[in-house]
Amino acid sequence: MDPILADIYSTILPSAPYLIAAYALLWVALLVYVLIIARGTKKAEAQLMLLEEAVADQRAKGE
Amino acid sequence: MAREGRDVKLPEAGQWPDKAAPVALIVGAVLTTVGFLMAFLTVPPVGGAAVNGVELIGDAMVNQKMLLSQKIFYFHMPVAITSFVALAFGCYYSVRFLMTRARRFDTCARIALEIALLFVAMTMITGEMWTRFEWGVWWSWEPRLTTYLVLMLIVIAYFVLRGSVDEPERRATFSAVVAIIAFIDVPICFMITRLIPSSIHPVVLREGGMSPEMGLCVGLVALGMLCIAFALYRARFRQVRLTERVEALKEELGD
Amino acid sequence: MARRGGGAAPRSALCAPPSAWAQYRTLLAKDLRQEFRTKEMLVSMGIYALLVIVVFGVALSFANPGADFLEVSGGLLWALVVFTSLLGLNRSFSHETENGCLEGLLLAPLDRGVVFLAKATSNLVFLLIVEVIAVPLYWVFFSSFAAPAASAPLMAVPLLLGSVGIAGIGTLLSTITAATRGKDVMLALLFVPIVFPLLYACVSATTAAIAGGVLMEDAFATSLALAAGYDVIMLLASWVLYDFVVS
Repeated sequence: MDPILADIYSTILPSAPYLIAAYALLWVALLVYVLIIARGTKKAEAQLMLLEEAVADQRAKGE
Repeated sequence: MAREGRDVKLPEAGQWPDKAAPVALIVGAVLTTVGFLMAFLTVPPVGGAAVNGVELIGDAMVNQKMLLSQKIFYFHMPVAITSFVALAFGCYYSVRFLMTRARRFDTCARIALEIALLFVAMTMITGEMWTRFEWGVWWSWEPRLTTYLVLMLIVIAYFVLRGSVDEPERRATFSAVVAIIAFIDVPICFMITRLIPSSIHPVVLREGGMSPEMGLCVGLVALGMLCIAFALYRARFRQVRLTERVEALKEELGD
Repeated sequence: MARRGGGAAPRSALCAPPSAWAQYRTLLAKDLRQEFRTKEMLVSMGIYALLVIVVFGVALSFANPGADFLEVSGGLLWALVVFTSLLGLNRSFSHETENGCLEGLLLAPLDRGVVFLAKATSNLVFLLIVEVIAVPLYWVFFSSFAAPAASAPLMAVPLLLGSVGIAGIGTLLSTITAATRGKDVMLALLFVPIVFPLLYACVSATTAAIAGGVLMEDAFATSLALAAGYDVIMLLASWVLYDFVVS
């Protein structure tokens, strides 16, 4: 490679991994939070299901 | 919950912000994407050290190194702004809680601080990557880094505090107080670490203003990040409210 | 409780409630009398400070620093103050809660702001007493490394300012953490980051005073002004927020 070009690229190429890591980790962090929300929703829905069953049971007993 | 004042309008899932949230998410996604593309494609790179000689790249004569690592800045700063805005909202809801004693505001404050923690973590990640490359170290006691470390520690302490108080009323009060103190503390921390001349350590200053293009790019991404934070906040709020309502139902049925 | 109430009784008998100043004095006198009778907290804080000095001695035993020790000594001194004050703040509320004192105090028709100020003042007094003992001791133990500059006695100013801030915000935080699980750790977790700016300013001013020279001219006044600003803002905030914490 041309020595001048190599010099010009010398700060671009080594920094690329850090740059990519920074952007990737940014989205990973957001994704993790979205997953936390999704998990919470799932849990709440499961609880709701249990409640519905309990209500149905009570109604069946009452009749 | 019954003794909450009727005149206080409480935030609830399904009010107008929930209609705005999907729009905000889309706008945020578009803006951050545009900002991302802009950062790499249209904003001129910031020049670094001069090179001994000139070379033709594409159609341009280039005679200095380019700092690609500086491109992290276009997302780093908006994320930092967003985290501080989230903290401000957390403080606002904490004040509202202390004024009204409505549990709902405590929930809001908690979620706002969660968002703040998320964005502080994102700020730290991007900042670390830049620091690691530019300064060759993982950590340096530079004012902004220090401030964000302290902010992160306080927000973490906030959540640890929430975990270690069982009584809901008391937990809400204590955490509201800590959130307010945190919001006051952080600007002071920044000022103090900034203003005190430190002749022992080299002061790292990389100011020099932003060109209009850089400013535009940062502004776009900041707007996009705020939209995303808002959408996340509403999503989390809906989920937490759902959980709370299910819990309340369970209590009622359990009797 | 009853005895303490008795102290103010002649004045308050039936008619006008005691003034805020009288309440403050009574509360402060109560804290001080309680402490000086047992000397429990002062003794433990003093011994703890000595132990921290011993740990510093071990930590520095292989470094054998010369004049550059002066640049570190301000920081070490503040580490000593922070650890000792953490211990003291933890203790200051533990015997209030143990004896059910706090409930009695809150049942009395006292202004919460007065309770805060009295508690903060007593914490400040204890902290200052310990500092008066520990700081000279620190210099006795580390005088072999380097002699401080002529301006060293000026470090009393940042020590005083720092202690005021620590006592103020520390009183609020220790009241909060007294009611939590794992209170000792919780206090440290909240206290250290929140007091960080003050610590930074005070370390800067103390180092400037000890090292003297150019550093003294540059940093001393600015640091002190910033520390004083922190004190004022945080004391006001704690004073306002204390109302909510103890109700």
